[in-house]
Amino acid sequence: MGKTTYKRLKGSQSFRQRLVLATLANTPVLIEDIRSEETWPGLRPHEVSLLRLLEKVCDDCVVEINETGSKMKYKPGTVMGGRNLVHDCGVSRSIGYFLEPLIVIGLFAKKPISIMLKGITNDFKDPCVDTFRSTTLPMLKRFGVPSEGLGLKIESRGSPPHGGGQVFVTIPVIDKLTAVNWLDEGMVKRIRGVTYSTRVSSQFENTMIHAARGIFNRLLPDVHIFTDHKAGPHAGKSPGYGISLVAETTSGCFISADTAVSHAQGEAGEIDNDEKEELTPPENVGEEIASFLLEEIQKGGVVDSTHQGLLFLLCALCEPDVSKVRVGKLSPYGIETLRSIRDFLGVTFDIRPDPSTGTVILRCVGCGYKNLARKVS
Amino acid sequence: MLGKQRRLQFVECPNDINGMIDCAKVADLALLLIDGSYGFEMETFEFLNLMQNHGMPRVMGVLTHLDTFKDVKKLRKTKQRLKHRFWTEIYDGAKLFYLSGLIHGKYSKREIHNLARFISVMKFPPLSWRTSHPYVLVDRFEDVTPPERVQMNNKCDRNVTLYGYLRGCNLKKGNKVHIAGVGDYSIAGVTSLADPCPLPSAAKKKGLRDKEKLFYAPMSGLGDLLYDKDAVYININDHLVQFSKVDDENKKIIRKGKDQDVGEVLVKSLQNTKYSIDEKLEKSFINLFSRKPNISSETLNDAKDTNEQSGEGIKVDGLVDEHVDDDLDDSESSDKDGDVNKDEIAASRSSGSDEDNLKEHLEFNNGRLRRKAIFGNNIDHSDLKDSDEDDDNDDDEDDNDNVDNQSSSGSDFSDGEDDQIDDGMGNISKWKESLLERTVSRQNINLMQLVYGKSASTSATSSNGVQDSSEDEESDDDEFFRPKGEGNKKLREGLDSDNFNTEDCSKFRSDWLKAARRNQGSESNLEDDEDNDVYGDFEDLETGEKHESHPIGDSGNGTIQNEDESAIEERSCHEMMCELLLVIPIFWFSGQFCCLIRQNHVKLAVLTLTFFFTYNGSDSAEEEIDNKQGAKFHRGQPNEVGLIDKMKEEIELRKQMNISELNDLDEVTRVEIEGFRTGTYVRLEIHDVPFEMVEYFDPFHPILVGGIGLGEENIGYMQARLKRHRWHRKVLKTRDPIVVSIGWRRFQTIPVYAIEDQNGRHRMLKYTPEHMHCLAMFWGPLAPPHTGVVAVQNLSNNQAAFRITATAVILEFNHEAKIKKKIKLDLEVAQCEGKEVRTVSGIRGQVKKAAKEEIGNEPKKKGGQTREGIARCTFEDRILMSDIVFMRGWADVEVPQFFNPLTTALQPRDRTWQGMKTVAQLRRENKLSIPVNKDSLYKPIERKQKRFNPLVIPKSLQAALPFESKPKDIPSRKQPLLENRRAVVMEPHERKVHTLVQHLQLIRNEKMKKRKLKVEQKRKELEAEKAKEEQLTKKRQREERRERYREQDKLKKKIRRHSEA
Repeated sequence: MGKTTYKRLKGSQSFRQRLVLATLANTPVLIEDIRSEETWPGLRPHEVSLLRLLEKVCDDCVVEINETGSKMKYKPGTVMGGRNLVHDCGVSRSIGYFLEPLIVIGLFAKKPISIMLKGITNDFKDPCVDTFRSTTLPMLKRFGVPSEGLGLKIESRGSPPHGGGQVFVTIPVIDKLTAVNWLDEGMVKRIRGVTYSTRVSSQFENTMIHAARGIFNRLLPDVHIFTDHKAGPHAGKSPGYGISLVAETTSGCFISADTAVSHAQGEAGEIDNDEKEELTPPENVGEEIASFLLEEIQKGGVVDSTHQGLLFLLCALCEPDVSKVRVGKLSPYGIETLRSIRDFLGVTFDIRPDPSTGTVILRCVGCGYKNLARKVS
Repeated sequence: MLGKQRRLQFVECPNDINGMIDCAKVADLALLLIDGSYGFEMETFEFLNLMQNHGMPRVMGVLTHLDTFKDVKKLRKTKQRLKHRFWTEIYDGAKLFYLSGLIHGKYSKREIHNLARFISVMKFPPLSWRTSHPYVLVDRFEDVTPPERVQMNNKCDRNVTLYGYLRGCNLKKGNKVHIAGVGDYSIAGVTSLADPCPLPSAAKKKGLRDKEKLFYAPMSGLGDLLYDKDAVYININDHLVQFSKVDDENKKIIRKGKDQDVGEVLVKSLQNTKYSIDEKLEKSFINLFSRKPNISSETLNDAKDTNEQSGEGIKVDGLVDEHVDDDLDDSESSDKDGDVNKDEIAASRSSGSDEDNLKEHLEFNNGRLRRKAIFGNNIDHSDLKDSDEDDDNDDDEDDNDNVDNQSSSGSDFSDGEDDQIDDGMGNISKWKESLLERTVSRQNINLMQLVYGKSASTSATSSNGVQDSSEDEESDDDEFFRPKGEGNKKLREGLDSDNFNTEDCSKFRSDWLKAARRNQGSESNLEDDEDNDVYGDFEDLETGEKHESHPIGDSGNGTIQNEDESAIEERSCHEMMCELLLVIPIFWFSGQFCCLIRQNHVKLAVLTLTFFFTYNGSDSAEEEIDNKQGAKFHRGQPNEVGLIDKMKEEIELRKQMNISELNDLDEVTRVEIEGFRTGTYVRLEIHDVPFEMVEYFDPFHPILVGGIGLGEENIGYMQARLKRHRWHRKVLKTRDPIVVSIGWRRFQTIPVYAIEDQNGRHRMLKYTPEHMHCLAMFWGPLAPPHTGVVAVQNLSNNQAAFRITATAVILEFNHEAKIKKKIKLDLEVAQCEGKEVRTVSGIRGQVKKAAKEEIGNEPKKKGGQTREGIARCTFEDRILMSDIVFMRGWADVEVPQFFNPLTTALQPRDRTWQGMKTVAQLRRENKLSIPVNKDSLYKPIERKQKRFNPLVIPKSLQAALPFESKPKDIPSRKQPLLENRRAVVMEPHERKVHTLVQHLQLIRNEKMKKRKLKVEQKRKELEAEKAKEEQLTKKRQREERRERYREQDKLKKKIRRHSEA
């Protein structure tokens, strides 16, 4: 027995899904050629940080990275979970990057996870923590995750490049996920949102809201966008502002769009220059994000493009029944996820375009994943 | 085939514990045969226990050997006794059948009928393990290793194919399987085969028609028909072989223009060489009548008839009889031949198998016939062929009948799975045309192919391809170093091209700033591509579907079949193969033979058969029922509203939903998505199996192939809640190897027993508790929590005692075992630094540091001995030199990382599997005594008398003390005091008083004495009287009670008589 056979993968793409799936399916993976021919080869700091996070919530997992970081071995262990964990996510990616995999793994842990994540709460690359709270968590409930113990609390916000935000996340433990038949996206009945600003004038928020409402007001009246101005120690270390919008439909779907504006992140420990580029003015941000949300709604589907990957992953992990979901245009991330799911879990989706609405209907039979780590009481 | 929705599979449970374990895991209903004259046997209880732990299936007891009782009363009493014992074991009211005995070597028809009825209406609870794991009870086993490899090395790893009905849940392609008694393997290939026992057509009828009562049991030697992926094999008896030859000749005449196939010639040459002399004699006879088939076959039948009727005990009238005998003769002669596969059984079961044989052939022929009727343009052709092929068995008239049958029943063909098999060669070109068309239409990409790569079916290669390519692209931006990537990049379009973005980001808007613009309608290039893909593709798909239905319509078939290209391709191969390699004789029987008598008869025979077998050796016959996704079969029966029924209904509903959901997919994608459905007859190909499996294959032992769930092939520590079985005589010892059966697996492992203390610590136990649960931690392939475990220590069959040592349920698994035990003295002192110590008197302290290896007041240089384990400790108070200091230490216990899968299928079945031995066994074998640690022995305790020195108070202290506290130094006297010494002389008055007092005292004493005596006497008298009275009352009471009981008894008897009446 002793020898572990590694699943050999190449490249740095879809790193997170691979790790998540490897952990869930308990398949050791060996990833080669991670940016081996770039000027900065190897794993990025956020990827290393993600591995550290996995080590934190798992027992007996082994991570080996070679000198340049272009090759790594990951042997997953048991997902333990636990209370009052703390993880510093670093400043190369925002907390959203870490939350996406963590939330799936946490569901199948031995004990419920409550963890404090430190770093950047909002940036434009990853879904911000507000979106997580407003969109992702309700989505999990669709799959039978209890709402007790599922929560996200923003202690303080941090913008790039220096971060300094803190988010407290609790994830409950479940036995298995139930299959969903989620086709009806419904009509948009209300739009909610949150703007935030750290270390800038709170006037920025009002401007963003004004601009966004200017677009929505022509379409529907029920628009409320809250402000969340942080000051002092809660504001993190860098100035920035942003907005997260959620459209709730009549059938209970949440379509989100978010963005954040701040000074660019330095690449891999590089200190950013003094000459600061112009930031997008808040009016433009508001307008853009509002129209982007409309764009997402127009695409159709029960989730926005950001959440496609998570949706597919959850569907694939369901008990062995048919899940049926409707999404808008498949996002590259979603497609990558589909491929990874096929490779790791052996779940293939049936993908049918629905030309009348311009959406795609995906069907799959879940792999019947069960929380094996949980203890019988 | 039992009803429209269910099929039964009978399995005889072998009489050894391994076989019993495997059987208990798959049985839906256990028929426990109990020898009434003997009573219950250990195996019965063992089997019950096994079942209880692996999910309790239904159990029916069958009491046999009741004819050995001559005394009716005794018989009734035994029945009662056994019934009640059975009830205590299962539940009150569990069904127990009585088979009153054999009549002419068979059980009475009525009883078997009743039993069969009970079996047929049995409902089965869903068992959680089985509903979540696919499994196959193998009913056929083939070695498909290339023969040259076997020739090169007889002991090379083999490739085998296993056939059976898929049960449990859907089997996906990538699934790993565990073959019980062999090990884990990944499936090299799965194919679903045509159901050898197809469900009857959906026509609305009550009950089954006689034709639809099918039997299929290849491994048990019943029937000669075998199905394979691309072929159908039939064992042909000698004179039938002759017939086939004849029919070939006929065939030749029919297709004059065609050349004879090489394969056919080969087969024929083979056939020819096989004949021995006596068969040659027969041959000559047959050759003679082959020219005039009508007469000769009849004569043959007659001849056989006369032969057989003398030997047969059964009286069946007319035609039926004739036919039975005919067939019986067939199989007998085949026995003579010795070319029957694995047929030691057939010899022993005399009559039954033959009838089955007959039945089976009959059924298949009819099934095929019906299907053939679909192809209107082919009918003539096939009929011709058929008649040529088949008139060997029956008369021309029969044939005609069949033709009639076929045309009449042509409407209810079921699935068209096999219809092309018998199809003529003329069709092939047509099919090819349609194939070509289809492939062309398929060229158009669809969305699934876009996502999953071109060849969706071969997942491994495609995934590699995807990875490779994306890897290429990933480094594309570094164009200075890699100009070669350019070409590659251009090949990819649409979705893949934006994939090189190594940023692992779920957000899909690298160009999000353009959102506003996008909203206004001008879409980016990228999206355009995608949209085109999406919608354009759909159109293609649709047209593709149209194409699909088109050719079928051409071939004169109005119904829509959603078959896919590859299946058809395969089928056309099928045909070729058939032509090349196989001769498929088809037997025709006209409907007249299938009268009611026959049906009853067959049923009786089969059941008898099973019972007969279980009779001799083991006591349990299993039986399983394939609930083919029967639609509303169970629903609509609101009689029982139990939890189980509700659950079942729910499961059924969900299943229905799933099925309906995926129905519109074509076969290949459906299999890709949901795997093979339960109830399909599958062929599993497994590579690199040890050759022993083939060598020691024994059809008596069922092979169980169970699917392994996600994460279940990993190995780790498992914690189980374990209880020693109350019938096992000894407690279990920690680290004594036991054989556990978990999930599909059986393996030997070394458990460490423990119990959870108040504070959550797991304390190691040396032995399991007598009557309590304890925890067991062991190493092995993981099983999900809640899985039942059965532990066995001795696998041999000749053990009289109860073999199941313990039962358990898995609680959790972990990568480490957190078991502690109390410290041992030889522990390293350095490990204990900082630990708490306390004296007997309760003074607490702490271990500070391991001291130097010498005691403080006796330095080494002064000759003090160096000792290990000396530590410096601090206490909260001064402790006495004589105090004993305790440290409560806990040491981790390591659970041995050992497990040894039971490879019982890789050795002769009758040999007992020998794994790791227990310590006791080894000692016994090597005649070693139990090692004795001298220090652990109990010795008589010698306690010296403690001598205390007198208390000495220093003089200075004495001086300072107050007088009271000062020790009084009184010297002891040699003589008594004066008071005691002096004599007393009384005065005369004094003397008088003294004597008077003395007198008075004397008088009083005397008085008291007398009174005492009197009281005593009175008491004695009273007691005597009381005793007398007591006796009388007792007597009376007894009389009364007796009377009362007598009356009660009478009343009871009366009531019982009433109730019985």
